[in-house]
Amino acid sequence: MVDEPVDEEFRREAVACLAGLYGFALSLCHDRSIAEDLVQEAYLRALSARRKAAPHENLRSWLFAILHNVWRNEVRRRRPAPLEDAPSSSLIAKESDPEDALSRLETDERVRRAVTLLPEAFREVILLRCVEGFSYHELAIILGCPAGTVMSRLARARALLRRSLTVRAERHGAA
Amino acid sequence: MTTCADFRQFVTAYVDGEIVGEDRGVLESHFATCPACRRLLDDERAMSALLHSSHQAPEAPSALRERVHTLLSPKRILRPVPWLVLAVFVVGVALTGAFLARGRASSNVPGETSELATLAADTHLRYSRGQLPLEVRTERPQQLSSFFSGRVPFHLTIPDYQVGPGEQKFYRLEGGRLVSFHNDYAAYVAYRMDTEPVSLLVTTAAHVPPRRAEAVRSGRLTFYIEAVAGLQVITWSDKGLTYALASDVAVSGERSCMVCHGSPEERERVRGFPGRPHA
Repeated sequence: MVDEPVDEEFRREAVACLAGLYGFALSLCHDRSIAEDLVQEAYLRALSARRKAAPHENLRSWLFAILHNVWRNEVRRRRPAPLEDAPSSSLIAKESDPEDALSRLETDERVRRAVTLLPEAFREVILLRCVEGFSYHELAIILGCPAGTVMSRLARARALLRRSLTVRAERHGAA
Repeated sequence: MTTCADFRQFVTAYVDGEIVGEDRGVLESHFATCPACRRLLDDERAMSALLHSSHQAPEAPSALRERVHTLLSPKRILRPVPWLVLAVFVVGVALTGAFLARGRASSNVPGETSELATLAADTHLRYSRGQLPLEVRTERPQQLSSFFSGRVPFHLTIPDYQVGPGEQKFYRLEGGRLVSFHNDYAAYVAYRMDTEPVSLLVTTAAHVPPRRAEAVRSGRLTFYIEAVAGLQVITWSDKGLTYALASDVAVSGERSCMVCHGSPEERERVRGFPGRPHA
């Protein structure tokens, strides 16, 4: 039994998705070990199915969809409840301007914390849109729901974030 | 769209670039003349920018990067293995007779725990805790063999466990799944003996004999018995494949083999384990 060779285009595009897939997996499960398993599982399934599924039109969204399916259908239901209130230490802050580094880090951390506390359906759509930049059509494929649902989830998620960040800012100001 | 409420439900999609053509023009005309909606638009843009700037995908761990690069290597070839007998049966056939007669070859050599034994123990514990779902749940060996076909880089046939007349199966198959090991998949097979899980890993990765293990030789095979994370793990290699069997069996050396493969009388002599249940 000899595996079919991996063509260079597929390999290059798939490797380019690695960091995004790992970050998405971490945001779902909050566990580095499980996140690694999810990512590897996504790649292996993509490799085994790539001839049948003709994914080359959008390999990136296809890989994210596989990972999301594995998480939703096979892993999430079997493991204890995720640490919804855990800080999103997995999400790394960008380098800050030295002049306002502290302020920016605090703001970034507040935003990441607010995102972490979102319900999973909102958190995943926010991260896939705002961090990974997927279109609504791609999000509908990845998440397995209509584009209208994607739009409403994004709007509700952002409304929740605005409310959460405003309340936090007011508390912070009052303290 | 005639009211501000109508326009506002599309603000997020507008900022995301999802509104195009004539609809986009209609929205922009409204934003140009409605200060309240314009403020909402500005807030939405600020929120998008904030979300983007505050998040960055973390770098994947180097071990994961290596595994993915290997998986995607153009030279990746799955080695053919013409046959495989499941490890439990290898233990059973090899150990119940010859093993017990030949006894121990060497023992208690100090050194490290083997990597495969560590993985077997970790996998066993995760499965026991309900943290590692099986991809296939079945008591039918043929069904599990079919699942592994094409998913692991070797041919795996799960043999059926036959019992004599009037006997009940002392352990039963529960199912299996794939686990990652050395840039490829290993086969994980879950059994249950009474209420206790027993885990078997099968991989093509080369067996590195652990130094801190009780080594027991039976014919051409050497079995290494280690204590890892409070579990007993037996590893061995045969015909290009490496096996690891993890369980809570807390007995030493060849006595552990009697738990599954000894006669009812032999099992009764192993502390903590009952004899084979009779129908």
